[in-house]
Amino acid sequence: MSIAYKPDETFRDDFVYSNSDTAILRFPFPFIEDEYMYSVNIEPHVRGGETGAFEAVFDVDEHYIAECRERAMVLEQDPNRCMVLPHMMTAQWDTLELIMESLAEDYPEDFTLEKDGDAWTWTNRPLGIKDSFVFGDVDSLPLEPFEYITRQAQGDFTLQDQRENNLFMDGGMVTTQADWSLEFDLGMSFHEWHGPVPVAHEINVFDRALQYLLRLQYGNPVRRLNWTMTVNPRLDTSPENYPIWGPDRTTLTPENIGGKLHLRVELQTLFRLPRSNAILFGIRCYLASLDELTRVPKWGRRLHRVLRDLHPEIAEYKGTTRYREMAVDYLSQFDDGEPTSPGIGPDVESL
Amino acid sequence: MSKSRPTYSPLYLDKTGKRHLIVSDTAEIPAEALADGVTPDMFDERWTIAGHSKAIPGTERGAVADHEFRSMNHLLIALRRRLGEEKMGFRLYAVGAEGFLWEVRTAAVVVGMGGGEVQLNQVGSQARRVFCNHCRTITEGVTTNIVECAGCGANLFVRDHFSRRLNAFAGFQVDAEEPGDIPEIEEIYR
Ligand code: HEM
Repeated sequence: MSIAYKPDETFRDDFVYSNSDTAILRFPFPFIEDEYMYSVNIEPHVRGGETGAFEAVFDVDEHYIAECRERAMVLEQDPNRCMVLPHMMTAQWDTLELIMESLAEDYPEDFTLEKDGDAWTWTNRPLGIKDSFVFGDVDSLPLEPFEYITRQAQGDFTLQDQRENNLFMDGGMVTTQADWSLEFDLGMSFHEWHGPVPVAHEINVFDRALQYLLRLQYGNPVRRLNWTMTVNPRLDTSPENYPIWGPDRTTLTPENIGGKLHLRVELQTLFRLPRSNAILFGIRCYLASLDELTRVPKWGRRLHRVLRDLHPEIAEYKGTTRYREMAVDYLSQFDDGEPTSPGIGPDVESL
Repeated sequence: MSKSRPTYSPLYLDKTGKRHLIVSDTAEIPAEALADGVTPDMFDERWTIAGHSKAIPGTERGAVADHEFRSMNHLLIALRRRLGEEKMGFRLYAVGAEGFLWEVRTAAVVVGMGGGEVQLNQVGSQARRVFCNHCRTITEGVTTNIVECAGCGANLFVRDHFSRRLNAFAGFQVDAEEPGDIPEIEEIYR
């Protein structure tokens, strides 16, 4: 099925953004039950499952073209949103190969990869790109391979080198992040970059997650869902630009909160890379407003309960303090107290 | 509690090493930086800062044990050269302010030293170097919870998140959401 792209969407200034019914129904709603706590919520990244977002290795949806344009704008204004340390060149090529092969396989109408030995030709029809290059020869591409390919993908990516029984964030393309900085975190180890997260260290989430990832196998990727909330459908909620988007948090009212406040979900995927033994971490960001999500009755009920009962330190860390009460009040109209089914699925086939 | 903020402990003499160099950003090696039973004379060389512009460190490696430098930067220049010449069995120890320690550590990592081959212990000022996440300027010697960025002038809240690569703590504009809404400023990193 071909994707109906919405190339004119924007994620800043006038915020021209919405989700079609199809996009809402395939939204990776992150709550498996009516309460939320940090856990080692990792599962195999296999096709299928409770949301359409799990159907491809790298999910492409109606926002693809607009998101790639937004990424290009961020990079134009701040080139340090993409940084890769010099020893990660093999991992850069691994990433390019994985993304190209996956997109070509999952979306043959949109992407084609032709190989003649090391002579590769890549066609990206939605973005109008066709490039021939020699795999492994940096000079044959217009950009370094990691930046080249992640400019053509939705979501952020980081590259982790594995050494000393740890993972080090030694590269990344980070333009659609939930308030953390690649430039600041570059080179850090697993526990260091997770330093600011409350509660999770104390319940050993990071110790266990790291042990799991150190054993991640090539060919057996895994995934997890993470979430926060964002005012306006803004992708670039970076610390770098916090002075620009921070004031958005003061603009919510009981009248506009349903359209303005968005649930921000990250579909995080982890891949062992074949040549470098590095780990590629994909952080694919999905935004949907409260009004869009509550069209699914189960999700309206559940979002109300999760937000109402959220651990205060986690609520504070996610930046919801200023508006959480208003959001809970607003959502209460969608919660009739009925029980909800386990799992993340919407339980409806149309809206 | 920040997991990126380094912790330090008193320096002990690593018996698996053959040559031991201790560097300090003060005029004397501070005794309180050393573990019980360890004294400055146990190190093969001691590099310190004289703090005047005529200081001349000894030139030959190992010819004298005490070398005095004009400043931290003067010491670091010599250290980077020395590290390039050292071989297996060399152990490096640094005491002083946090900013100095991570300059030393980075110089050592560049030449492939790691793990227990370098020991650091923070003594003296707890002042922080603060990286402005907005304009990328580092403000030095910060002793307060909130500081005006030396680059863009934003009122930065000093986080407990430390980058070894940048040798700095993260700072973000404390009143970004409501300009002018600045909490009380307190001196907490003396
Ligand atoms: C190599 C893979 C990973 C990378 C690069 C990564 C990176 C990050 C970063 C940069 C943050 C934000 C920290 C900040 O506030 O500055 C974060 C948050 C977090 N990470 Fe990871 N992470 C990885 C894997 C995992 C895994 C496997 C788990 C599994 C439990 C996990 C759990 C969390 C949690 C719970 C948070 C807090 C999120 C929130 O409340 O919004 N991370 N991660």
